[in-house]
Amino acid sequence: MPENPTDLPPFARSWTQLYAIVIGSLAVEISLFYLLMHWLS
Amino acid sequence: MSVIDWSVLVFALAGIIIYGLIRSRGSRSMDDYLLAGQSLPWYHVGLSVMATQASAVTFLSAPGQGFSDGMRFVQFYFGLPLAMVVLSITFVPIFHKLKIYTAYEYLESRFDFRVRTLTAGLFLLQRGLSTGLSIYAPAIILSTILGWNIYWTNLLMGGIVLVYTVTGGTKAISYTHLQQMAVVTFAMALAGFLTVKMLPEGVGFVDALHVAGEAGRMNLIDLKFDPNSRYNLWSGLIGGFFLQLSYFGTDQSQVGRYLTGESIGQSRLGLLMNGLLKVPMQFLILLVGVLVFVFYQYNPSPTFFNKQETDRLKESPYASAYQLAEIKHQNLTTQRQKAVMDMQVALKTDNEDAQNTAGSVLRETDEALKQVKTDVTNLIKKNNPSADTNDVNYVFLRFVLDYLPHGLIGLLIAVIFSASMGSIASAYNSLASTTVVDIYKRLIKDDSDDAHYLNVSRWATVGWGVFCIVVAQFANRLGSMIEAVNILGSLFYGVILGVFVVAFYVKSIGGRATFWSAIISEVLVVISWYLDLTAFLWLNVIGCLLVVGIAWILQKVIPRPA
Repeated sequence: MPENPTDLPPFARSWTQLYAIVIGSLAVEISLFYLLMHWLS
Repeated sequence: MSVIDWSVLVFALAGIIIYGLIRSRGSRSMDDYLLAGQSLPWYHVGLSVMATQASAVTFLSAPGQGFSDGMRFVQFYFGLPLAMVVLSITFVPIFHKLKIYTAYEYLESRFDFRVRTLTAGLFLLQRGLSTGLSIYAPAIILSTILGWNIYWTNLLMGGIVLVYTVTGGTKAISYTHLQQMAVVTFAMALAGFLTVKMLPEGVGFVDALHVAGEAGRMNLIDLKFDPNSRYNLWSGLIGGFFLQLSYFGTDQSQVGRYLTGESIGQSRLGLLMNGLLKVPMQFLILLVGVLVFVFYQYNPSPTFFNKQETDRLKESPYASAYQLAEIKHQNLTTQRQKAVMDMQVALKTDNEDAQNTAGSVLRETDEALKQVKTDVTNLIKKNNPSADTNDVNYVFLRFVLDYLPHGLIGLLIAVIFSASMGSIASAYNSLASTTVVDIYKRLIKDDSDDAHYLNVSRWATVGWGVFCIVVAQFANRLGSMIEAVNILGSLFYGVILGVFVVAFYVKSIGGRATFWSAIISEVLVVISWYLDLTAFLWLNVIGCLLVVGIAWILQKVIPRPA
C-alpha cells in the first residue's frame, strides 16, 4: 500500500507537522479547559 | 412515545440500514467483505473509527455523568490524540504494508503461532463479552423507561445490526457509520440547544455555565496526582494513552476500521481526525448533561430518575420512609431554586459577595440533595437487592421524555439505537474476521478458495451475533455501564498492548518469552483488579509494563531453542 504525499491536507507540509498540530490542539484544549474552570468557579 | 416519535425512529433506522445495504452491494470476496477492498477515503475511516468507539452508553451514561459528577470525565480522553499520533507513525504503516486482515496475523510473522493464537483468543473473549454488555446496556435502560420487554429489546438491538453486517460486510458498516454519526451529532446538538432555550427568561448559556461552575460541575481539570482517583489529568494522559493505544492498536474492531483506508495516508488522516475531534465531542456530550443539571436547578427534579424503582418503593414497606425523603427533597429543591435566582441577580449586578453567598448555599443544598439520593438508593436496595440503583444511566433519557418535544424524543431514541448499532456492527465484523483469519483459516482449513472463506465469514458473523445477544440476555446489573465496559477492556487491553509493544520495539525478545509473559501478566492484572489495588485505568499501564518486563527477564532466563 503506497504512502502518497498528496494524502496530506493543504494546511500541513509534512506528517510531522500534522502530528504537531494534533498534539498542539490537545495542549490548547487542556489550557482552555483549565482557564474555563477557573473563570467559572 | 407518540406516533410521531415512532415514525421518526423507524424512518431514521430504516433509512440508515437501507442506505448502507444499497451502497455496499457487490461484496464478492473476503477482501471486500472484511476490509471493504481497502478503498475508503479518510473521512470514512475517521467517522467509522469514531462511530465504533461511541456506543449507546456514551450518549446515555456520559450526560448522566455530566449531571451528577460534572465535566471531569473528559480527562479520560486526553490520552487519545497522543495514541492516534503513535498509531499513525508505528502501527498503520506496518499493518498496511503486511497486507493483513487482522492485527494478530502480524504477531505470527514477528513471534510464532502460539502468541498469535493467545492474543486473538484474549481479544475474542474480551470483545465477545463486552459486545454483549454493549447490547444489554442501552436495552435495559430503554426497557425500564419505555416499558419494553428486556429480552425483545436485546434481540432488537443486537438483531437488526446482523441484517446489514452479514449481508453488506465492512462496506455496509462504514456507510451506515456515516449516517449514524450525522444523526447523533444533529440530535445531540439540538437537545443541548433546546435545554438552554428551556431555561427561565433572562438566563442564557453563559449564565448557565456560571451556575454549573458555582455548583462544582465545571471541574474540567484535576492536576492532583492520585493513583486511586479515577479521573485526573495524569490518569487521563498516561492511563488513557495506554488504554486508547491498546484499543485502537490491538482491538480488531478498530484495526479493521482503519485498514479499510485506500492508502497509509488516508488511514492516518482518519485516525488523526479522530484525535482532533474526540476531546471536543466528549466535552460537548458532557456539557449537555451539565446543562440538564442547570435546567433542574430552576425546575423540580425527581428524587430518583429511574421511576420504575421509586414506583416499586411506593408500594413497599419502605413507602413512609420514601415519602419523608421526598418531602426533604422538595424542600431542598425550593431552597436551591431560591439560591440559583439569587445567584442570577448577583451575576447580573456583578455583586461578588452575593455571588459567593448564593454559591455556597447552592453547594450546600447540592450536597444535602446527594445525601437524600443516597438514602433513597439505600431504601431501593433494601426493598429490591437486585434493583438497578445506578441512576446516572437514566438521567438524560428521563429528561428527554419529560421535557423535549415529540419527534425529538423519537430522534434521540434513534441516536441510542444508531450509536449502539455502530459499535456492535464493528464488533461483530471484527469477531468474525479474527475467527476466520486467525482460527479457522490458520487451524482448521487453510486450502480453500475465497468464496468458501467469504461464506464462513458470513456464518461467523451470525454465530457471534447470536453469542453476544445471549450474553446480553444473561448480563447482570453492573453499575455505570460505560465504566463496566471500560473496566472489562482494561483487564485485557494492557496485556495485549504489551505483546504488541514487545513485537514493535523490543526485537531481542522472542515468542516463547512473550507467550509466557502474557499469561503471567494477565493473571497478575486480574488479581490487581480483584484486590482493588488501583483505579482501573492504571491496569492498562500495569498490564503493558508487566508483559514487557517479564518477557525481558524470561528471555534472559529461558534458554534459546537450538
